[in-house]
Amino acid sequence: MVSLRIRYITTVLDDIMKQTPQEIKIDKRMQPGVITLSGFLGDDTRHYHEIIETDEQTLENLGKTPEEIADRMQYFTDASWNSYDTPLEIENKFVVETEVVRGKLPCPFSHPGVYRKAVTRLTNTELGLTISWSSLNLHMIKEHHFFEGSGSVFRIEPELLVKVLF
Amino acid sequence: MALRIIYDILALTGVCAAFAVLLVIAQKFLSNYGEMKININGKRDLTVKGGNSLLSSLGDQQIFIPSACGGRGSCGACKCKVTEGGGPLLPTEKPLLSKAELADGIRLSCQVKVKSDISIVIPESIFNIRKYKARVAEIIDYTYDTKGITFELLEPSKIDFKAGQYVQIETKPYAKMKQKVVRAYSISSKPEDEKTLQLIIRLVPEGICTTWVHNYLQLGEEVNLTGPYGDFYLRDTNADVIFVAGGSGKAPIKSMLEHLEVVGTDRKMTYFFGARTTKDLYLTEYMQHFEKALPDFTYVPVLSHATPEENWQGKTGFVMPFFKDAIRDPKNTEAYLCGSPGMIAAVTKSLVEHGLAADKIYYDSFG
Repeated sequence: MVSLRIRYITTVLDDIMKQTPQEIKIDKRMQPGVITLSGFLGDDTRHYHEIIETDEQTLENLGKTPEEIADRMQYFTDASWNSYDTPLEIENKFVVETEVVRGKLPCPFSHPGVYRKAVTRLTNTELGLTISWSSLNLHMIKEHHFFEGSGSVFRIEPELLVKVLF
Repeated sequence: MALRIIYDILALTGVCAAFAVLLVIAQKFLSNYGEMKININGKRDLTVKGGNSLLSSLGDQQIFIPSACGGRGSCGACKCKVTEGGGPLLPTEKPLLSKAELADGIRLSCQVKVKSDISIVIPESIFNIRKYKARVAEIIDYTYDTKGITFELLEPSKIDFKAGQYVQIETKPYAKMKQKVVRAYSISSKPEDEKTLQLIIRLVPEGICTTWVHNYLQLGEEVNLTGPYGDFYLRDTNADVIFVAGGSGKAPIKSMLEHLEVVGTDRKMTYFFGARTTKDLYLTEYMQHFEKALPDFTYVPVLSHATPEENWQGKTGFVMPFFKDAIRDPKNTEAYLCGSPGMIAAVTKSLVEHGLAADKIYYDSFG
């Protein structure tokens, strides 16, 4: 029991010592109650680096890059940003609307700037599938290749994104 | 083996603690900047302890520059002009400043350290901003996701604001929330109620502050507010008025109407309130009472997604098609808009097409 506890402590210490101060700061900002109520990691126990690497690999296998995904998401968000209370039909198979509420959020990776609390909801009518993302999601995918941890409120599975967006 | 690991951990902890103590001692002797002067607008000198940020130094002197991120250098709201001192521009500031602002000496006050005497220029209205201790006096459910919260001001006990301005509210730790956050909300009560103020707050999914307000804030609880802030306020003219709001955007318009009811006005005014369904309508009877209280006021709720089951007898669709009948002289009409950027963009475009001057269209786009 004692040796197990010591092993746990040394593993935790080892993990902490492997991280740079900046990484520790980012990890802290991803926890529940710092930037958002539930945080960015959900119930995922992996380090955010590992989450990013896994999702990058998934996308690579699907022949897409995070930048391509983010550009496509940005296209739909931009198209619907100024629509007033009405979903827009795009390319004969997408219905999209963006709802903006009061407030802005900073990036957990400490990027300068803040991101409006806006949620874009996209339906691919051919597939009958709907996905949603926030302005911060879009930024984190484009700049950090971060799709959030599994179980996180705004986690979007890369496979689903590829399926619905194109 | 186990003992060896424990000894190693203890030794490492000891070394770290020793370094931390050394750092604290070094900071005390090497980073002691003494007293510095902050000159404001060439008129007033403040003496402050050197080494702190300009934002916090001013806050300590009861001068509150607006900040949405609490001085973390991420929101870019705490801009002020530094004419002397301030040190070199930091990499953390540059992305949040435009070329014109950089050329004009604008800095982020949370990033500028007061390490020498410094001269700044800030708007006179900032001197009216105060930190208030207040008590929750009333909580009203307006809709399924919108509440009206009335605060009784304790210290100071009075506030001076213009109808349409906003305050910032500071949350308290709750549930998983270990730290406080600060969020801005328009004041929905009239300036004449100087001892109380009301905010209308809509629950935002995953919103730290709105969740606290809706699920944790209790009657009688004490909270901290700062304000008033903002340049969205009712102009004192005789021009006709078009008000347009959606959702919690009703708050500043309510404040303006209550103010006009007190001071009296014969201005022709029409208020278009856009909502999706009857579930999103609130304070309808109260708004209709202004049609009797004010000589030339009309309240026009417009629903964009009313279902047949709702049996809605009022106007439907967008608010823009109804502007034509409300505008009698576009050159003598002002507009006050509060809502999402999409609503602001569509309504502004339509009002300009109807002949309103763009600089007479005032708005708060939920920024």
